[in-house]
Amino acid sequence: MEIIDIQNVSKYFSNHTALDDVSFSIREGVIFGLLGPNGAGKTTLIRILNQITFPDKGTVLFKGLPLNPSDISKIGYLPEERGLYKKMNVGEQAVYLARLKGVPKNLAIKRLQDRFEKFGIMGWWNRKVEELSKGMQQKVQFITTIIHEPEFLIFDEPFSGFDPINANLLKDEILELKKSGTTVILSTHNMASVEEICDDIVLINNSRKILEGSLSEVKKNFRENIFEIIIYNDKYLANLPPDFEVISDNTIDDKRIFTIKLSHIEQANNLLTYFMENATLNSFKEILPSMNDIFIQQVNRYNAQKNG
Amino acid sequence: MGKIQLIIAREYLTRVKKLSFVIMTLLGPILMAALFIVPVYMTNKSQKQVKLVVVDENHYFINSFHDSKNAQFTYRSGNVDQIKREALGSGEYDAVLHILESYSGIRSNLYYYKEPPMNLRSNIENQLDKLLFDKVLQDTFQINPKKFEQIKSGTKSHVSMIQTDEHGNTKKHFAGLNRLIGIVLGFAIYIFIFMYSSQVLRSVLEEKTNRIVEVLLSSIKPIQLMFGKIVGVALVGLTQFLLWVIFTAFIIGVAMFAKPDLFTSQIPQSDIPAAMVTPGMDNDLEIFALMQEGQGFGEILETFYGISFSEIILLFLFYFIFGYLLYAALFASIGSAVDNEADSNQFTMPVTIPLILTLVMIMPIADDPNSSLAWWFSMIPFTSPVGMLVRLPSGVPLPELILSMGLMIATFVLCLWFAAKVYKTGILMYGKKITYKDLWKWLKY
Repeated sequence: MEIIDIQNVSKYFSNHTALDDVSFSIREGVIFGLLGPNGAGKTTLIRILNQITFPDKGTVLFKGLPLNPSDISKIGYLPEERGLYKKMNVGEQAVYLARLKGVPKNLAIKRLQDRFEKFGIMGWWNRKVEELSKGMQQKVQFITTIIHEPEFLIFDEPFSGFDPINANLLKDEILELKKSGTTVILSTHNMASVEEICDDIVLINNSRKILEGSLSEVKKNFRENIFEIIIYNDKYLANLPPDFEVISDNTIDDKRIFTIKLSHIEQANNLLTYFMENATLNSFKEILPSMNDIFIQQVNRYNAQKNG
Repeated sequence: MGKIQLIIAREYLTRVKKLSFVIMTLLGPILMAALFIVPVYMTNKSQKQVKLVVVDENHYFINSFHDSKNAQFTYRSGNVDQIKREALGSGEYDAVLHILESYSGIRSNLYYYKEPPMNLRSNIENQLDKLLFDKVLQDTFQINPKKFEQIKSGTKSHVSMIQTDEHGNTKKHFAGLNRLIGIVLGFAIYIFIFMYSSQVLRSVLEEKTNRIVEVLLSSIKPIQLMFGKIVGVALVGLTQFLLWVIFTAFIIGVAMFAKPDLFTSQIPQSDIPAAMVTPGMDNDLEIFALMQEGQGFGEILETFYGISFSEIILLFLFYFIFGYLLYAALFASIGSAVDNEADSNQFTMPVTIPLILTLVMIMPIADDPNSSLAWWFSMIPFTSPVGMLVRLPSGVPLPELILSMGLMIATFVLCLWFAAKVYKTGILMYGKKITYKDLWKWLKY
């Protein structure tokens, strides 16, 4: 079932188009990667989902119904450009933000105390935000984003400002949220984290959607029939048949590692057979393109088309 | 609790709990009370008595100066230089008055180490004039000075200023005091409006530069945030005003209870500060005379004012609230449109100019509350809070008051609409230098 259905959404500003007829949907319970270069229209789309701005054309359905103000308490948002009141106490501020999302005061305090305990930051409750380091503030901000237990979460560059340890902690939290049934939008330029945790993605470029699908699907669609074969370097190997285009051939210790591009995927068996006959095989696997490569390739292709 | 109430509560509580608010609230009335008490107290009590030695070469003024609480006269004869050395050198005396030998007019020198109080000279001159006048009266015209005083006081005239209307209602005017109260009210409302509406600007700007606004706007509408902030800050202003009124009344009350003679003791004409010597002076003296008769300060004001204290406070509140709302709405929209405080200056300038203009105009309006200048300044909504408050103690006809208040409310509604439009768009706009052209575009969204 779809939790979000974006239908033909367009948004215009005085001198440019931020979104141009964008449609896609988000399945319930997935981690959804919203990708795109800077200025593609991601922030505008996120603001529309948060009802901070409204589309000029098209509609957004939330669980099958047009998005409306009562959905605010079901959505959590961690903006890319984020901040807290510097002079306000951490605890007081977290309670305030939770109450703005519609959580009753006492429940907000209880939930926050549980969370603070879990993160080991209960000692910060009465400290002013300005006394905390950037990373500490990010933690507090993360907690305030999820404290109203939203069904749908939007994280815009959540990992920026975190050290690797805390980034990992955050990643685990997000996976935990997914396990409990929360749908998550992850908007990021960090393609490694997309590959690690996203189920589905959409790629927006220049206010238009240019790519969508599940991560594995997208990667399969952009496969280039490249395989990595590792053999033990114990026998002399004659020249490879010409059908196999060798991209690289390296020897490390007692192993020899090939990357080979095939003209058709059906040749995979031939390739394997050849190596099985002529060498002692260590491993054989397909190399799918990274999200990073797909991102760069697709964006460049569309920009070239547009300019050409 | 609704979301707007939550915002109002936060804006209010974070400000009220600040140390600076507590200090200002406690210190404000003390400063204000001091403003009333200290000048009176200073002129009455604290002046040190100056000890003078009089050396009169004409031997005419010996033993004829009157000692007062400000000056005590001792008489010597002999070599002036030697007396100077002895009297001033020992520190026993503060000044030596040397009256030179002469036959027409009196010339004298006053010697001192440390400069004596300003009014000592006028005190001496007044006494010398009087003594000389009496001497001429006696010697040349053979008139007894005492008899002359009787004649003078028996032929004194006095004009009382009484305003009246078609129903025959009258009220006495004390123009000088009206003017003074008007000036105080004008300054007070100017400070209040400026202080609190510029807090709104800073607060909006803080949320924008902090980027917390994006988080907030995922929970509430921009207009709710702006409105909550404006109301929250207004409540802080009202709280402070209320506490100030209560504390000031309390402090003045305590001062009057502890020292009942503070305001009622005799204030000689020569001791009244020069700043208060204005048209309407006589009426001021009339009030001082009433004070001497032992009437309370507040009672005098209450009895002799066409507009009562409660009316002044209510109108002060009205003009503070709407003047503040007007400027706060404009300041909020400015705060939302710019990225930092430095950029805000180009927009705050045209907004604050009318306010500063009224500040400059306080004195001219106070001097002639019925001039057309005063009329216009008390009608135009951007200047009327200050303009009207300065005019108020002198009495403002009800239709004028209603017109001014109506214009104020109408303009506020217009400004709120404008502010909401600009705020909604501006608050989400980052990294772009905003021009007036942009603002115009946002209005048309």
